Amino acid sequence: MPPIENDTGKNDLKSQIQLLIDSNQVMVFSKSYCPYCVKVKDLFKELKLEFNAMELDLIEDGTNYQDMLLEMTGQKSVPNVFINKTHVGGCDNTLQAHKDGSLQQLLCAETEAYDYDLIVIGGGSGGLACSKEAAALGKKAMVLDYVVPTPKGTTWGLGGTCVNVGCIPKKLMHQTAMLGTAIQDARKFGWEIDEKGEASEQQRPRRSRRGDIGPVCRVKHNWDTMKDAVSNYIGSLNWGYRVALRDKNVNYVNAYAEFIEPHKVKATNKRGKETFYTAEKFIIATGERPRYLGIPGDKEFCITSDDLFSLPHCPGKTLVIGASYVALECGGFLAGLGLDVTVMVRSILLRGFDQEMANRAGEHMEEHGVKFLRKYVPIKVEELEAGSPGRLKVTAKSTESDEVIEGEYNTVLIAVGRDACTDKIGLDKTGVKVNPKTGKVPVSDEEQTNVPHIYAVGDILEGKWELTPVAIQAGRLLARRLYGGGKLKCDYINVPTTVFTPLEYGCCGLSEDRAIELYGQENLEVFHSLFWPLEFTVPNRDNNKCYAKIICNKLDNDRVIGFHYLGPNAGEVTQGFGTAMKCGATKEQLDNTIGIHPTCAEIFTTLEVTKSSGGEITASGC
Amino acid sequence: MSMRWCSSTQTKNLERWTLSWRTASKVLRNALLRTGFTWHFSKQSFLLSILMAHRLLVRRFWTLSSKDLRCLPVSSSFSTSLQSSRVPVLSRSRSRSLALASLRQAASFNIQDHDDFDVRVIKSELPVLVDFHAQWCGPCKILGPRLEKAVAKQNGKVTMAKVDIDDHTDLAIEYGVSAVPTVIAIRGGDVIDHFVGIKDDDELESFVSKIIGK
Repeated sequence: MPPIENDTGKNDLKSQIQLLIDSNQVMVFSKSYCPYCVKVKDLFKELKLEFNAMELDLIEDGTNYQDMLLEMTGQKSVPNVFINKTHVGGCDNTLQAHKDGSLQQLLCAETEAYDYDLIVIGGGSGGLACSKEAAALGKKAMVLDYVVPTPKGTTWGLGGTCVNVGCIPKKLMHQTAMLGTAIQDARKFGWEIDEKGEASEQQRPRRSRRGDIGPVCRVKHNWDTMKDAVSNYIGSLNWGYRVALRDKNVNYVNAYAEFIEPHKVKATNKRGKETFYTAEKFIIATGERPRYLGIPGDKEFCITSDDLFSLPHCPGKTLVIGASYVALECGGFLAGLGLDVTVMVRSILLRGFDQEMANRAGEHMEEHGVKFLRKYVPIKVEELEAGSPGRLKVTAKSTESDEVIEGEYNTVLIAVGRDACTDKIGLDKTGVKVNPKTGKVPVSDEEQTNVPHIYAVGDILEGKWELTPVAIQAGRLLARRLYGGGKLKCDYINVPTTVFTPLEYGCCGLSEDRAIELYGQENLEVFHSLFWPLEFTVPNRDNNKCYAKIICNKLDNDRVIGFHYLGPNAGEVTQGFGTAMKCGATKEQLDNTIGIHPTCAEIFTTLEVTKSSGGEITASGC
Repeated sequence: MSMRWCSSTQTKNLERWTLSWRTASKVLRNALLRTGFTWHFSKQSFLLSILMAHRLLVRRFWTLSSKDLRCLPVSSSFSTSLQSSRVPVLSRSRSRSLALASLRQAASFNIQDHDDFDVRVIKSELPVLVDFHAQWCGPCKILGPRLEKAVAKQNGKVTMAKVDIDDHTDLAIEYGVSAVPTVIAIRGGDVIDHFVGIKDDDELESFVSKIIGK
């Protein structure tokens, strides 16, 4: 990079340097090869001080930095040390300051001036776990949490996405749908159900697995009852979180936080009252919110998962846009309630997941009456009639041709992904780097952002899992490392998870697609099998739909690097195998494990057929 | 998990009582430690501690605002047990029947905000039962009407303040509510008794009688 001539460039550089000085308790401008710099950095390491060292020889415009530092401080040489915004000087100055105690004074001056040791922005799983742990370790901690209402006006309480508009209501509604299936099955097991009742209008007869319309079991589902019961349970959870914060001495304020300085936030409550708080350290745990399409009518007429779980009326005939796990889970349980559900898919199902498994889960949904519109994208949504629910017209176009289609639905649910809430919290005032495309925050393996006193956990992290237990683990371990002398870092490898599609899909480790990319097909052995859960046999449904697959690394003792299960209770099945994989389970060890009979999980102890052999995998008897 | 925050049936009360007792005592201990009290964990000292803690809390929140001049519940002026001069307000010319109707109405009321709580509970001349409840709490829906009935039976010797903990979270947090329903009895600004969970009509009646000192 050439020397900067113009004033704008100079001013930019100056403010960049000032930001570094302002946002780091200890800032060292250094050169990687300079022995004096090493000496200074070693001193800070010895003092266990967090410092940010910028190696001017390793960055492109290092000379410009050096020139600007000369202009700002009258010192051109490195190291050039700043403590709490005060210019200390070079190596000798710093060592001298350490000797005569002025260094300590400089360090203390600022630390004591902060209102809090730690402010956590965001009261979701990660933020709450981290703040409670920090407070338990004797630190003064605060949580700032605020739910910006959806375009439809939906809002909720403390606890974040998982508790309010994610895992919890999702699984309860999935359970609702499965109970519907259980009622159907029950008849085959001898339960006699009074069939005089009328099925509700919005519910259609269920299709059997062959696609023909079977006898209607006239049981009705009441949306309001389910929604109220789910909301009540969530209400109790919200309160529980609030009490836990009080009991753990975490100061909680229900206000929207925005950085205005590297160590200072502005908190605006729902009445618009602004309060300012400072802290030594910050943790950003603001999570994500559903993305809209940016087409006419999307925010006015469509809903997202943020609205669905507390929708005041049954959604009726529903179009789900997207094929994310949120889309398939919501589409799945709505169909399970007996609603007419269509899923509009742009390209593939469950991006990032094992594609074979994703397609099998999708096929199962299709066989159970969920319609898929593949390779279409919506272009506009119009309201035909207002109401609860109203009628909407959706226009979509093919991704492959000029074909345009129209459809009429009561509800349109957008589930095309989620965006990190990092653009409106004043991160520019702190210098925290954000991926400009995704809004995600890159962090070190210790969840530290590029600004040393600011950390991040949860869904906003770049390249990490968007899962509640991961955020909780990361938050808790982070607090222990910051305040409890902990060393353990969050392990993001081999994280088990489950997608609650009607036929549940649990996995841990690599997808087959990714494993092939990383290791090459020739170095992998894939063992797989279809199976028929015992509980499906009597009702005679879903024969050879459930599927188990493991991916083994031939170069490493046939170690299991990918685990995939499509079947009932996938979460319960996958959890234990997750532990096995953490312990480095190999195919041989699985083979030596005694199965529990009769279960679904036992299939993993008897996997024999390899995918490469092309052998028969349909199940047969005991 | 939910049950932890929502005390329900009597049969399982023992376990829950223990739980809420533990939580409640922990909260109190924290409150006391913060205010410089030492904590002796015994049931005997619990009542004393709760009294002291709340007196302190209450003092802290005792502010004189213009709203303090607002009239007290109409019922007070006709209550026989009441001798206060601070309760005037209702014009004597109004008919007695109107006042009686108000009396019935005012035996229990919903708390609107912190100031309202200050006026109608803390500064109340009568003892007040504060029913901390939540929309999502099933047992609260059973206890509420029962308690209302028990209070009504006392013909204006006690009132009942209903506090929705989600609308008035700060109040609930301040009074150490962990599980709902929680009922606390306040007289002269001090917490004099409390219980968590559900009670039957007889138990409620004796609780209320104790509060009004029968």
